Amino acid sequence: MISRYTAEIGTATLTAGLGLTAVVGALEFGIGWGDAGPEPGAFPFYIGLLVVAASMGTLIQVTLGRYGLQSIFLHREEAKRVASFFVPMLAFVVLARLLGLYVATALYLTFVMSVQGKYRLVTSIASGIAAAVIFYFVLEVAFQVPLLKGPLEAALGLY
Amino acid sequence: MENFASLLHGFGVALTTYHVALMMIGVLLGILVGVLPGLGAPNGVSLLLPLTFTMDPVAAIILLTSMYWGALFGGSTTSILFNIPGEPSSVATTFDGYPMARQGHATQALTLAFLSAGFGALVGVILITVLSTWVAKFALRFSSPEYFAVYFLAFASFIGLGAASSFKTIVSMGLGFAFAAVGMDTVSGGLRLTYGFNELLSGISFLIAVIGLFGIGELMLTMEEGLRFNGISARVKVSDVLKTIKTLPRYWVTLLRSSAIGCWMGITPGGPTAASFMSYGLAKRLSRRKDNFGLGEPEGVVAPETADHAAGSSAILPMLALGVPGSATAAVMMGGLMIWGLNPGPMLFIERPDFVWGLIASMYLGNIVAVLMVLATIPLFASILRIPFAIIGPVIVVVCFIGAYTVAGRPFDLWLALAFGVVGYLFKKLDYPIAPLVLAMVLGDKAEDAFRQSMIMSRGSLSIFWSNGLVTTLMIIGLVLALGPVLTTAFGRLIRPKASSAVA
Repeated sequence: MISRYTAEIGTATLTAGLGLTAVVGALEFGIGWGDAGPEPGAFPFYIGLLVVAASMGTLIQVTLGRYGLQSIFLHREEAKRVASFFVPMLAFVVLARLLGLYVATALYLTFVMSVQGKYRLVTSIASGIAAAVIFYFVLEVAFQVPLLKGPLEAALGLY
Repeated sequence: MENFASLLHGFGVALTTYHVALMMIGVLLGILVGVLPGLGAPNGVSLLLPLTFTMDPVAAIILLTSMYWGALFGGSTTSILFNIPGEPSSVATTFDGYPMARQGHATQALTLAFLSAGFGALVGVILITVLSTWVAKFALRFSSPEYFAVYFLAFASFIGLGAASSFKTIVSMGLGFAFAAVGMDTVSGGLRLTYGFNELLSGISFLIAVIGLFGIGELMLTMEEGLRFNGISARVKVSDVLKTIKTLPRYWVTLLRSSAIGCWMGITPGGPTAASFMSYGLAKRLSRRKDNFGLGEPEGVVAPETADHAAGSSAILPMLALGVPGSATAAVMMGGLMIWGLNPGPMLFIERPDFVWGLIASMYLGNIVAVLMVLATIPLFASILRIPFAIIGPVIVVVCFIGAYTVAGRPFDLWLALAFGVVGYLFKKLDYPIAPLVLAMVLGDKAEDAFRQSMIMSRGSLSIFWSNGLVTTLMIIGLVLALGPVLTTAFGRLIRPKASSAVA
């Protein structure tokens, strides 16, 4: 279980970090006045500073009002549901990089339908493959937009 | 009258079989996107955008705007039938729409929602027709400092008018600008902020951000809440529809007031969501049947719907005439315009009048098509939500990632979309506003260019933002808006020190 307070602090720290990253990155390109006006780093530098400052503002606000923020940000039950959605999605992205989007789509749909939707395995596999085939025809054939492909498409000669 | 002639010409452009067919496809896709949880108008337009890169710009914008109308209608449908707002802007519709449907008045609620939404949209389009040339002409006098001041004003109004914490609004906006800065610097042509990653050389596309923040983030939130659809089945009967149409004039005061609120919030970047809530609140406060609000009061459906659509359509005006979009969806469309090689702003009216007026004419037609189609197809779309989420959910996920990949054909974007999804989930849970981030990503380069050119003009002196009446006025309004929350808090403390300390 995570309290709202912890979540607020974590997110504000993350945004402050991102702001700081922009500031540090911008320094490399010059933040002063160059031959053609302000140097490329100037705008991102000040934007980065602004983000850091505003994140600090949130941090201070949250710390001052911490007693009002003891409510629970994420219950165990909710966390489980989010994880059961997020983990397969993460696996889908990894698979897509390795095997291409079509194969990953078929596997992902099959998995979620059979494991989480409690459908019969045959139904799930059929739906997964059907979805991948439909996507193929809509995108590659109708709109001529190529998607990320993997070894299976190469073996089938679908390029 | 010059506008009227241009509009007639626009109808000539828009009224071809091909374009009307596109409108119908767009509206259908839009309703689908609006009905499905996790897919909304900004996200839907982002997903469709890469498929329009090869289309003619007029046809492409007709498809995208029609999708926008459809999505707005779809969002209201789920609000009424399922108590699940398909769009953030239709949250206010659930307050009275769902109770009405539960009492067996689903048809009446839906018809009222669609018709008042259509009315609001038409008011918005009429406003665009009347004002756009004037605004564009006015904007022709703008040079870099004025443009920067307009952008400043747009972002300041997020801080001043938004409901979220000002710090959070600034963080969200600043991150948007920072993401926009990654990759090529448009002034010097050099690369920056790539941190040695080849994947960042071509920058971070705002489309990926929208797909992640609005799509995947929203889905994670939906999953967390645990999805339960308690749908009310609706069969739209023609006789009931006609009966409801007859009652519509009764709400003329609400219709006009809500349209006005919607148009104002649409032109300023308040956006449809703020407009619908504000309109609902005002209607409740001013109504004689105050106590009935929240229990199924028809006026409580009319007010937010009218404002929502008035804001949605009038948000196109600043996008076209100034190049400053009034809502997240308008921001995405503006990004699309730039990808098609069009430059939104006053010059567009001179260079591409056929495009501008074709678009405006298509907005009239598109809304009429949308009202008719939505009435005809609602039972069908409502049945989509009866499909178990174990099927719909992963399909939406796949569509989002495929959409992210089609933006530029880069595998790295899949990771980016996932990362933005997590950020979107966190931001939504912690009340960080997301629209400023998207707007900043779309406008980032333009705002930076305007700023740097102003600096070059003034040789580095900020006084250029106070150099003439126009730019000074814009900057002062912007500053007042940006500092508004601080000023009101400080002022409030002065007047009632005890009350505020008790709250804190």
